[in-house]
Amino acid sequence: MLSVRCQRVSYQLLASSSTSPLVQTRSYATQPKKGQIVKQASQGFKGKKTAPSGQMEPAKKDKKMMAFQPLPVSQLPHPLFESDRPDTLTLQTFHPEMLTRVVESQALKFPHNDDDPFRIFGLPRNILVEFRLLSKPCSVIRSVTIDAINKLDAASEKNSKESRVVFTGPQGCGKSFLLLQALQYCNARDWLVLYIPRATNLVNSTTAHTYDMRTRTYLQPIFAYQTLQRFLKVNTPRLEQLRTQTEIEIERRPPVPPGTPLVELINIGLKDQGHAPTVLDAVLEEIGKQTIFPVLLAVDDFQALYCKSHYRDQHFSAIKPYHLSMPRLLLEYASGQKSFARGAVFGALSMSNTTFPLPVELREALSLKYDRPYGPYVKRQPELVEYAHGLESLAVPSSLSVSEAASVFEVWMKDRAVPSKPNDELFLAKYSEASGNARAFVWKGLLSSMS
Amino acid sequence: MVHVLGVQLPDYQYARFALTAFYGIGHKTAHRLCARLQIHDKCKVRSLTPHQITELAAFLSSPSTSTPIPRFPLATSSYKPPPASTPLAVLKEETKKLSQRAWADPLRNIKIESEARRVVKDNVAHQRMIGSYVGKRHAMGLPVRGQNTQNNARTAKKLNRVDRRG
Repeated sequence: MLSVRCQRVSYQLLASSSTSPLVQTRSYATQPKKGQIVKQASQGFKGKKTAPSGQMEPAKKDKKMMAFQPLPVSQLPHPLFESDRPDTLTLQTFHPEMLTRVVESQALKFPHNDDDPFRIFGLPRNILVEFRLLSKPCSVIRSVTIDAINKLDAASEKNSKESRVVFTGPQGCGKSFLLLQALQYCNARDWLVLYIPRATNLVNSTTAHTYDMRTRTYLQPIFAYQTLQRFLKVNTPRLEQLRTQTEIEIERRPPVPPGTPLVELINIGLKDQGHAPTVLDAVLEEIGKQTIFPVLLAVDDFQALYCKSHYRDQHFSAIKPYHLSMPRLLLEYASGQKSFARGAVFGALSMSNTTFPLPVELREALSLKYDRPYGPYVKRQPELVEYAHGLESLAVPSSLSVSEAASVFEVWMKDRAVPSKPNDELFLAKYSEASGNARAFVWKGLLSSMS
Repeated sequence: MVHVLGVQLPDYQYARFALTAFYGIGHKTAHRLCARLQIHDKCKVRSLTPHQITELAAFLSSPSTSTPIPRFPLATSSYKPPPASTPLAVLKEETKKLSQRAWADPLRNIKIESEARRVVKDNVAHQRMIGSYVGKRHAMGLPVRGQNTQNNARTAKKLNRVDRRG
């Protein structure tokens, strides 16, 4: 039985400072910052307030996931809802400079940005529900987080061809959360970020598709349009500094001359949905050539790009994912056929999706253990083998360490997820029942607790 | 509300489901129809473009005389598309050269509405004409397929006749 929390927790914010002598910082933090103002939110994650047009609202009618909407405090005036315990959840803000081994196993809250990538790009369904229950979106920094961040720091100087990483691990171990942490880190470090929270939506026949004679693929203009819109909104300050380096040709209009601001190029794609796929291709190519800002392309449900799509062509044959424009674009960057001069491509597998399970080509490329006997007679599609070539696997540990689990427990307890008083017996009981698995610990352990 | 060939398709329904409103189109045929018209699974009727609706109406008015669609060429992994300024005529020419002949399309044999009802009527009339047991049962308005008549023959008594509406 899930406990439904209807009261908003107010908290005092700690002034997050990276210049405190007691906090170990990353090497670049000693450089003076350019008058950055970090806006501190006074309320937690509320979901999308001003959703851009066409953005899907996940978990709206999803009865199975039971999307919780916390009631605002103003609607709960009755003294019964007053708590006897004072608000105790105080977390430091996730600042890139402070992410070192010292803060491992600490919970940090995600910063509230003006153009928050979470709000604009969207989130995977599980995480969206979790953030609705929490008073503010936060996560625990794990050792694998620091590993991923070190990889990102190294990747910022290299071509993205050399940094194509996929997070692997059993279901519920924290791959999507890790991707979110990487995304926030890059956004805070002034990277250009493009996040696809649910790659299944590219291949499950929920968006329009139309055959294009020039590219010989099935374009997905609406999804390309939405991606452009979100990319522009999140990265506007950085895109305003960039200009095109070559002439860009677009169908049915005069070519865009070199030196055009990238924002203007994106607006061409936003004015006419038919131009969106071409413009998106061109924009990614242009940001791949520039070396001012590194680029992060983050894709959750990464395995969906390698599975059979639900689309059918005009003869009712299944359309392969690499014959759809959006998955093809992502596959080209994931395989290194196209690359960013500086940046990385990060993917996170979703092992709990039965409609799009991990295919054998990707499993072999990432050198993962087989879940069933795959002999030499099992067909492997050569195109998918090629698109999966060179991917690096970053294994997320299947269980939280005791200190990490303790931080998770503290966050939920201080947020009053469980009505009983927190104690060691409850923590150890739930931790062992879940055998350290993060999702099982939170959902089946803490939130389903009857104690 | 979209009217196609006399059938109303509600706006709020998925197109793939709404097409089953036609007599003679079930879920499988509807899926194939949507694939032919490049309508994705979760497309609602209100999102259909006028071009798609016209194509749908044109196809359903006479499926057997529709133009066969060739199998369009699809990009290999190493394919580099020509620049966007390439004229449409050149692209059409190249696509036509590389397109392959389509195999038999089951959609061209479908019968809907009045044609489908006529098929049923003709079948029953034929059974009557040759004087078969099936024909006699239709004429008497009783069950045809060996069901019990001591009780429970309501549907047959209501619907079975030689000039069955279908």
